Amino acid sequence: MRNALRRAVIASMAGGIVLLAATLGAAQAPAYRAPRTADGKPNLNGIWQALNSANWDLQGHAAGKGPVASLGAVFSVPPGLGVVDGDEIPYLPAAAAKKKDNQANWVKLDPEVKCYLPGVPRATYLPYPFQIVQGPQNILISYEFAGAVRTVNMGAPTKAPGDSWMGWSNGHWEGETLVVDVTSLMEDTWFDRAGNFHSDALHVVERYTPRSADTLMYEATITDPKVFSRPWKISMPLYRRVEKNAKLLEYKCVEFAEELLYGPLSKKPSN
Amino acid sequence: MRTRLLVAVTAVILLLAAVPAWAHHAFAAEFDQNKPVKVQGSVVKWELTNPHSWIHIDVKGNDGKTVTWMIEGASPNNLYRLGFTKESLPPGSVILVEGFQAKDGSTRAVGRNITFKDGKKLFLGLSEAESGPSK
Amino acid sequence: MSHRSFALTAALVAVVAALSVALLAPQVATGQNQSSAPKATTAGKTWTPPRTPDGKADLQGIWSDNTLTPFERPKSLGAKEFYTDKELADLTRRVRAGENTEGAELGAANQQAVRYDLELYGFDRTKLRYTSNRTSLVVGPEGTVPPMLPQARERNAERNAQNKGHEFDSYANRPLSERCILMNQERIPMTPGANEGNLLQIVQGPGYVTLVHEIDHSTRVIPTDGRPHIPQNIRLWQGDSVGHWEGDTLVVDTTNFTNLTNYRGTGEKLHLIERFSRSADDTMIYQFTVEDPTTWAKAWTAEVPWTKTKGPVFEYACHEGNTMISTILRGARVSEAEAAKKGK
Repeated sequence: MRNALRRAVIASMAGGIVLLAATLGAAQAPAYRAPRTADGKPNLNGIWQALNSANWDLQGHAAGKGPVASLGAVFSVPPGLGVVDGDEIPYLPAAAAKKKDNQANWVKLDPEVKCYLPGVPRATYLPYPFQIVQGPQNILISYEFAGAVRTVNMGAPTKAPGDSWMGWSNGHWEGETLVVDVTSLMEDTWFDRAGNFHSDALHVVERYTPRSADTLMYEATITDPKVFSRPWKISMPLYRRVEKNAKLLEYKCVEFAEELLYGPLSKKPSN
Repeated sequence: MRTRLLVAVTAVILLLAAVPAWAHHAFAAEFDQNKPVKVQGSVVKWELTNPHSWIHIDVKGNDGKTVTWMIEGASPNNLYRLGFTKESLPPGSVILVEGFQAKDGSTRAVGRNITFKDGKKLFLGLSEAESGPSK
Repeated sequence: MSHRSFALTAALVAVVAALSVALLAPQVATGQNQSSAPKATTAGKTWTPPRTPDGKADLQGIWSDNTLTPFERPKSLGAKEFYTDKELADLTRRVRAGENTEGAELGAANQQAVRYDLELYGFDRTKLRYTSNRTSLVVGPEGTVPPMLPQARERNAERNAQNKGHEFDSYANRPLSERCILMNQERIPMTPGANEGNLLQIVQGPGYVTLVHEIDHSTRVIPTDGRPHIPQNIRLWQGDSVGHWEGDTLVVDTTNFTNLTNYRGTGEKLHLIERFSRSADDTMIYQFTVEDPTTWAKAWTAEVPWTKTKGPVFEYACHEGNTMISTILRGARVSEAEAAKKGK
């Protein structure tokens, strides 16, 4: 009788262990391990691009009419599921009102319209490619739009002497993930064309994790106590531009914004 | 045999004659050399922007009214490398500005020469000069 | 004296050169100065650069090209391509003492001096220096840019004539540098001045060399895999660059310039070949050859030593802070209104 009981206990324990192992196995498929650079780091080199409508609106949104009637459907707002965790951007009450105002007047107020540098994280999900060039001490990220660029310091973190449009980036590795801490961002950039904005207290922590040979997972945690009641996070895949000889091309958009910015100051034709 | 070189004894600051016409032209297009400016004021804000930095100062006129002037300086990038930060010129610091007014008549001027009351030059004089009330 | 290569950029970083000079020995090192044109190697001992993780010569770092060496050779020097060390030391001493001489070029210091007392920003004349014994950056027996072909003279004259009398009509009539579209110190080929902060940051990754000019955050991501240029019909302000390695020298070939890029009066047939090689731990020789059969009868070459300097390179967002265009146009409108009131 005792042997049967012991055998039953052992069998159920074994069954439990097998079940546990199966459960763990299912929940934790081995994470993708990216090929290494020559100096042993995960290789993020390449040309990447986001494929979503985050630049239109970080939150989920239906399609909508564009701002210019004569452009019809060409410049209408495409739909999107949204890239914000929980789909909520936790504005403080006064800031929420400003967001509404921004959105109502986005053509006039959005710095992207003026070809201003997009800031972080917006530069990542503009609908244009960017390139990561990994050096041993610095990782350079070159964005096609407006020639935006930033250098991520991979050595001991340094402090920014002043604010800038693209911020001050210090990076380090956490396993497979490149973690970039971005501070000293000027308050003049927006997160999207829907008027989502921030103050000069913005602090962004980005995570770039290789997901497969040709995709990265990108996450950005946004903290700004002057505007938001708590930190919030966006995430999205980034896709490698795999065509042969893929190359970033010059996108100097200043010319395209000049009439808007300076047109009224031009000489009026005399009678 | 020593090569003879043409030498003109001219201090670097008085290089107006050597400046190519069109370069001088652009400066003359922005600022009016017939409208020299000499003001003393207290710093309201220091914008460390490119291509120029801007110091906003409150200037008290003889009529008792305060006018805010925007004084144009050079790019701040080298100042950063010299160790200055946006905290280096606190609001309230009193500075003397010599320059020329903007051609569009606004209360903007290029800050050709900027000093503290004790005569020490901005920015290199910052570390030694008195600053304004602490932040 | 030609200053065309130092066109107005409304605010250059005034004194990085002076600062970087302060960090380095005041005397010019003699070992590297007797390079013969036009190969970018140094005579005498060769120095092996360190390697990047993927085995290429490591050009990385922050570099400055400030030098007193004039771009073109003063006429009085004729075919003299190099100063002796003594002549150079003498020249250096005189320039530092305040003399203005044909044999020295103060580059952007000239334009800035009109605007600001440069000492405010750290300009220290006593730290100015030459970085090679060359009498000019343009190499060869003439040491000057070849004379312009008649067709180029006509082309440029016509362009100027079209703008004449309209210089202040609109933003479109203003120089590219004033509009923050193409600042002169972000142009290629890269040319220096005495005290401007023409800082360059180089970051190398596998298959690419990236050059970031501080001015206007101008970035060139250059593939070194031997690929061809982009299609002919795509024209870019800074052209299209492709690179390859010849031993430890990076060779970059650039074409596809627009017809408005107008480097020294050139047209869209501008073809630029740049060579980068490190000759010492703190020195990189930058040699470039320029050709445009519609502008010059022959190609010409210049050689510029770059020196390692202390950074950081800081963001220079030109357009975002551009008050030049609006101030100038508004000023012109004010002048016109005043003139109209006077009944002119």
